Amino acid sequence: MRLNYPSNIRIIRVPCTGKVDLIHILRAFEKGADGVYVVGCLEGDCRFSNGNLRARKRVEQAQQILNAIGIGGERVQMYNLSSGEGPRFAEFALEMTEKIKALGINPMKLAKMKKVA
Amino acid sequence: MMCLAKAIDYEDSERRSTLSVGAVILCPGSEGFDPSGLDVFGYGKYSNVVTSEEFERILSASGPYRGHLMRPLDREAPKKIAWIQCVGSRDINLSGNGYCSSVCCMYAIKESMIAKEHSHDELDCAIFNMDIRSFGKDYEKYYNRAKDEQGVRFIRSRIHSIEEIQGTGDLIIGYTDETGLIKQETFSMVVLSVGLRIPDSVANLARRLRVDMNRYNFAVTPPFDPAQTSRPGIFIGGAFQGPKDIPSSVTEAGAAACAAGTLLADGRGTATKSVEMPTEIDIEKAETRIGVFVCNCGINIGGVVDVPAVADYAATLPYVSFVDQNLFTCSQDTQDKIRDVIKEKNLNRVVVASCSPRTHEPLFQETLQACGLNKYLFEMANIRDQDSWVHGSDPKSATEKAKDLVRMAVARAGLLKPLTEKKISINKRALVIGGGVAGMNAALSLADQGFETVIVEKEAQLGGLAGDLTATIEGADIQRYLLELVDKVSNHAKIQVLTESLIVGFSGFKGNFTTEIMVGPGMYERKIDHGVVILATGANEYKPTEYLYGQDYRVMTQIELGKRLEAKGAEDLKTVVMIQCVGSRNEEKPNCSRVCCQSAVKNALHIKELNPDAMIYILYRDMRMYGLLEDYYTEARQQGILFSNFTQDHPPKVEATDEGIMITFKDHILQRDLIIPADLLALSAGMVAEDTEELASILKLPRNNEGYFIEAHVKLRPVDLANDGIFLCGTAHSPKLISETISQSLAAASRATIFLSQSEITLSAVTAKVDPDLCAACLVCVRACPYGVPRINEEGVSEIDEALCHGCGICAAECPAKAIELNWYEDDQVMSKVEALLKGVL
Amino acid sequence: MIVAEKKPIEEIIELVKDSEKILIVGCNECVTVCEAGGKKEVGILASALRMYFMNQDKDAKIDEVTLERQCDHEYLEEIRGRIDQYDTILSLACGVGVQFMAEKYFSTPVFPGVNTCFLGAAEERGVWSERCQACGQCILGITAGICPISRCAKRLMNGPCGGSTQGKCEINKELDCAWQIIIDRLKELGRLDDYEKIMPIKDWSTDRAGGPRKVVREDVMI
Repeated sequence: MRLNYPSNIRIIRVPCTGKVDLIHILRAFEKGADGVYVVGCLEGDCRFSNGNLRARKRVEQAQQILNAIGIGGERVQMYNLSSGEGPRFAEFALEMTEKIKALGINPMKLAKMKKVA
Repeated sequence: MMCLAKAIDYEDSERRSTLSVGAVILCPGSEGFDPSGLDVFGYGKYSNVVTSEEFERILSASGPYRGHLMRPLDREAPKKIAWIQCVGSRDINLSGNGYCSSVCCMYAIKESMIAKEHSHDELDCAIFNMDIRSFGKDYEKYYNRAKDEQGVRFIRSRIHSIEEIQGTGDLIIGYTDETGLIKQETFSMVVLSVGLRIPDSVANLARRLRVDMNRYNFAVTPPFDPAQTSRPGIFIGGAFQGPKDIPSSVTEAGAAACAAGTLLADGRGTATKSVEMPTEIDIEKAETRIGVFVCNCGINIGGVVDVPAVADYAATLPYVSFVDQNLFTCSQDTQDKIRDVIKEKNLNRVVVASCSPRTHEPLFQETLQACGLNKYLFEMANIRDQDSWVHGSDPKSATEKAKDLVRMAVARAGLLKPLTEKKISINKRALVIGGGVAGMNAALSLADQGFETVIVEKEAQLGGLAGDLTATIEGADIQRYLLELVDKVSNHAKIQVLTESLIVGFSGFKGNFTTEIMVGPGMYERKIDHGVVILATGANEYKPTEYLYGQDYRVMTQIELGKRLEAKGAEDLKTVVMIQCVGSRNEEKPNCSRVCCQSAVKNALHIKELNPDAMIYILYRDMRMYGLLEDYYTEARQQGILFSNFTQDHPPKVEATDEGIMITFKDHILQRDLIIPADLLALSAGMVAEDTEELASILKLPRNNEGYFIEAHVKLRPVDLANDGIFLCGTAHSPKLISETISQSLAAASRATIFLSQSEITLSAVTAKVDPDLCAACLVCVRACPYGVPRINEEGVSEIDEALCHGCGICAAECPAKAIELNWYEDDQVMSKVEALLKGVL
Repeated sequence: MIVAEKKPIEEIIELVKDSEKILIVGCNECVTVCEAGGKKEVGILASALRMYFMNQDKDAKIDEVTLERQCDHEYLEEIRGRIDQYDTILSLACGVGVQFMAEKYFSTPVFPGVNTCFLGAAEERGVWSERCQACGQCILGITAGICPISRCAKRLMNGPCGGSTQGKCEINKELDCAWQIIIDRLKELGRLDDYEKIMPIKDWSTDRAGGPRKVVREDVMI
């Protein structure tokens, strides 16, 4: 549909959000990602029955862990939409970008910058 | 405008050609009724009166208002919306379309529910109707949710007029309610639930093809052969046969395909070409050599992304041995070039940076296979749909993103391994469970196409519920049809019938099932190997406990009445009362049984035929004479059969006396109680699914709360079960008429032939596998898999059968011991993209 | 099996916040099955701790290993070669494993990463409940297979107390009254007469109340 959305998003394909492991989410932040979002089918409509429900639980766990270690649980989110909802995808991309911009860059990057300085 | 790929022949002109074919399938469909020019609705005159089709676009995220609920005149959010049902349906005056369009009640309810979801504030929705026809599988539950939980109002009234309030855009609807009071209500907008009609072009096509149509231009099909038109060899399905919803249309499409397939069975495979692929090269010992092809896609990518810069960058990435830029990477000449390069440069992995794998992955994978490369050694970076198309205003960032995406794809490509797609052979025998009309038709269709079929029936004779039925509402003789059907099945060389037989064991997967059956009164065991299963276990008529059934000989069900009329006629019946919705649409059994309204009208018309002086009262909640059945309802009223409406909380009361069965009910027009002494009280008892609890657990198949089997997808796969190779038809799916059952059984047979017509099928290699050394046998994967695939084997560790695995990866992510990997999405393959993207950041 | 639960990460951070070289050791048995301390949990905890330290501007070496069990010498020996590289071991095994680890590697601090809860079974995925208190003198034979020691709040031996209401325990309406279940099952088995028999006073000498216990099997030792 060629709808514009912010260009700071990189997409990684998985067969089902149920495949997204908690460790994948944490590693992304460990390597320096500022935000991670998991996009799956609408709840009740998962192509593989309930993978998206599992994904949501893992995203919630990730949020708890990230809060506890001071990175900020808001940086990871789960979104649900159907493959026919292009405009909503663009909306989510915008929403996530604005949220991360407001939270700032991954605090570990700040720590690294301080060390180098 | 010159096509950059030179794909257009500007000199081209219209040509006439002749095709020789063995069968024709006609699915020309219908169109929405156009209410323009009909004064009463104000469509075209008042901006805020829209058709349901327009309202769907208003609600759609890709529609004119981007999914924001607004009304056309002033783009304000509506506060109250009214739906007017039966516009261009059930309407002889204005449109001449006397039939019911079947879908409008459900779509109006859906539109009101979605409108409420989309609305920021409270939205008041009112649906003006004559009957609410929510007769499909589980549809009644949706209707109840709308009514009881979401507060959608249902007003039983055919409205009088719609007028606009000057200057506001609001509309006043004038109508009388059921008590006769004249009312007016103001709405922000009005949606006309337009019916379906056959376009003139379709009617003309049908005439040219000499396909008979009824007076509404719907094609005429025999009740027991619903895919067959008046012209042999021309089959149809869908709305041209009669207005219907998506699940029924998809089912009929399958039935038409089956009918055509049966006709052409001898020709199967004679006109197809097979493709030979070269043997796969073993790349295990070879050093990783990746080829990257960056596409311009004309100006689609190249116009935003600096493709040469991306190509130059790609050349610097690890393991990249070759980079090229293409104008159109998907064109045939580029495929040829890629093939040459792969061979020349000994590439063993390919990355294409272009568009979406959803559309183009198979194409490029074929090119790899043609060079002897395993198709799983391929990765795509989407620098069009995910980049140039959505970041058009920022070419610099778009180019940086393209470089990132290519870097990520190359990192993953380096870790990809060749995967073997397992081939499994197909046992060409079919097992049909249930020997009723559904099971027998499915078996016949398969057998006529040359496939051996076994029918397992638990009773001593074939026939099922049809054994109790007399005639269809069109007057077709069911008993004679049944006799002929049983005869054909019993004498067919390719069909084996096992009666008085029960299924006791079941194992295997698509193409390779084994079923254990206890056969006959002797109960001896038989093991049958087969490739597919068709489930046709059927349903029965509900045995009422209400309204004195079983306590008075004058109270009977519709099926019993049908038989009674055949046996004793109706001379002695002066007054007959029928009560609808017995054992349906209540707390215990919330769904509609679909067939009872037409059953009642059928018997009522039959009584009138036998005894024109008989007085017949039909007490109903909604008359669900959908589709072309509506004409029979009209006929019934014209013959003087009286219909009176009752509500769920105010049902009729019944008392047995010597003078007759006294039925007391409150007439909805007179608003008074009436007492009718009846010679006979007929109860329209609903349908109850056959008890399949044990069978369902042996076959591991899900059923809904009412005991009907659950299909893979309500709309798009109505005869498939989620387990591959198992199909469903007839009343085992949900209550339906005999011609709908026949349609569905043909559709199930059609789906089954997809397996049976091949000697072997190739499975996807994207399956999960367990490392037995790491497995802790904790059962998490066994419990987490939505398809019940992982099993603890004899070694005490979990094992996943690749033939059954659907490749979702849920088990891999759930495994607490990290013992499961999903082929092609192994942890390091997925993470390589993250690591490549964020390289050097921390 | 032994059922354990992950310690809250805040608590774990408190324990290891001054460490510089941590080895997180998982166990492939009970704690894997109850999803608290297997290889997966080790990976998640390691990642979380790495990020915590990075965020604190601290350099910390955090390694991961999962042993088959931590209650057998042989498996614990597998890490002897590298134990000197670490100033802290964070064990996700049950209390048994943590202690065995601490005994074996005497001079390295060993911290627990999970709370060991009870001996229990999985009623369904995600729900575990207590079934056995290891009293050392199993009486399940006379109580129709239901244990009044682990499942009766008061450990009564001869029938329910007066507080048993509609099959539920008086201290917690969610808890089934163990004796109700015992009686129902004895009825089902046609052995309700057993209920009339008075159970002798239990010999608690084999219970934990008598001090830490040991089992010695002479027949397998030479």
